[in-house]
Amino acid sequence: MKPLTIDHRSTATGPVLRVAGDLDFDQAPELRRRIGLLPLAPGQCLVLDLSGLEFCDSSGITALLAARQHALAAEADAVLAAVPANLLRVLTLVGLDQVFTLRPYSDPAS
Amino acid sequence: MCRAGGVPDPAGNGAGMDAAFTALLEDSAEDLYESAPCGYLSTMMDGTIAKINATLLDWLGLEREAVVGHRRFADLLTVGGRLYHETHFAPLLRMQGELRGVALEMRRQGGGRLPVLVSAVVKHGTGGEPLLIRTTVFDASDRRSYEEELLRRRKEAERVRAEAEQARVEAEQARVEAERARAEAERARAEAERAHAEADEARRQAEADRTRLAAALAVLQQSLVPDSLPAVPGLETAVHYHTAAPDQLGGDFYDLFPVAGGRWAFFLGDVCGKGPEAASLTSLTRYTLRAAAHHDPEPASALATLNAVLHDRYTAGGDPRYCTCVIGVVEPGGEHGSVTVRIASGGHPPALVLRSDGSAEYLPTPGGLLVGILPGAPIGTAETVLAPGDTLVLYTDGLTEARTGPGRDDLYGEDALRAFGAGHAPAGPREVITALTGLLESFGEGLDDDTALLALGVPAAPSPTRPTTSPTS
Repeated sequence: MKPLTIDHRSTATGPVLRVAGDLDFDQAPELRRRIGLLPLAPGQCLVLDLSGLEFCDSSGITALLAARQHALAAEADAVLAAVPANLLRVLTLVGLDQVFTLRPYSDPAS
Repeated sequence: MCRAGGVPDPAGNGAGMDAAFTALLEDSAEDLYESAPCGYLSTMMDGTIAKINATLLDWLGLEREAVVGHRRFADLLTVGGRLYHETHFAPLLRMQGELRGVALEMRRQGGGRLPVLVSAVVKHGTGGEPLLIRTTVFDASDRRSYEEELLRRRKEAERVRAEAEQARVEAEQARVEAERARAEAERARAEAERAHAEADEARRQAEADRTRLAAALAVLQQSLVPDSLPAVPGLETAVHYHTAAPDQLGGDFYDLFPVAGGRWAFFLGDVCGKGPEAASLTSLTRYTLRAAAHHDPEPASALATLNAVLHDRYTAGGDPRYCTCVIGVVEPGGEHGSVTVRIASGGHPPALVLRSDGSAEYLPTPGGLLVGILPGAPIGTAETVLAPGDTLVLYTDGLTEARTGPGRDDLYGEDALRAFGAGHAPAGPREVITALTGLLESFGEGLDDDTALLALGVPAAPSPTRPTTSPTS
């Protein structure tokens, strides 16, 4: 199991969280806790940079859904950036590619 | 040897002996008195010494002139001897006229003591009146020593006896001690046995608890997935459920049941998470689907109802929970026993169809979303006809996500599954499930998730009552 690391960066358009390691049953609650503490203003965009994500199971997907839920509740947007191929395959399989806004890069400007 | 009359021995050799005998006879009574091996003294009745022999004077270191007429017998004794003389010796002597072997101590000139045995007799005159006392004194030093030795030995024996007694007492104490230690050990052993028995009892209790819990879990599991499917006219069905952890309620579910119009509904799915929370979600999902399918046998409608229920119950409250699910309705009555199957899917892997011609194909349901995360979520639908010999296979992603290599991305996958299906087609539901069960077992450790398998098909044989017989022309 790779430890989960979450790096927070503030940008002009909103917070960027770089999530790396394993997002599994044991560690996904930590991402949900961190996101729950994030202040979001209406119109901002929460970016989850997943380029360092090595593993994501259904608990991880639940955490990503909770992040989207948290953003929508604050009238903000949520974006998944640099989604690894395997996770993208799963997201497509369960139809979540239609739900999340997906971007190839984490840079909010791109 | 001694002859009467002292006549000389005619043999002539007795001359020396006779001389000695004569010398003995000539020994005067005076010399015998003075030099006798015991002391003699005579006293007046008041104790004043009138006569004393040289032997006794010598023993006591006294001069005759200082004694005779000046000292009394009692003056020669030690203090203790004098006391005894006054209280016992003299009165008894006066009363009995004689005493024998009385032990007394005399004083030596210069401080020493002389233990003696004294005998005395009163000499009476012709008229019977007491005249004087004759006293004989024997040196009792040796005898005293002997007695002291006896006493010492007696004391020694006493001491040894006392020591033996002490040893016996100590031995007895040691025995008692040992007995107590033995009793203590016995008690400790009994204590240990009791503790052991209690541990056994606790283990039995824990075992019983575990058995009861396992039984309860099994009953709950039954409420989540039926252990047998009802018989469906004109269809063959088969099912398999692989539990990854025996003590965890599963997150996969399936069901098959009749609905209105002679149709049959079935579903199979997988809820997010694991453990009791997943089980409660499974339970809600299963009974919602069953109820919804009765109201409206259109599979997409039942799935929309489930989506609304889960979203309202969980996700809308900030606790996103969801499931993937495929639900279908079988419409019998086609030509040659064929049936029409309509399915709806929410984020679930596509169903696989094994055809009677030996091909295998997926039945895609594109556009379907995980059930429960969005209000009014899109649902994918599809329809197909199962002719005799065709089999529809539903599965959860435990099968396709099983690891087949060291890496986390080395997964079995959908392509391999389709190839596996094509390799077995044509095959009836039971045959397919048996083959897939063997496939699951071959994954070993790579299969780390619950996996549900459900297959239904139209038997190739003309008679549905004999579904396992070979196809006939």
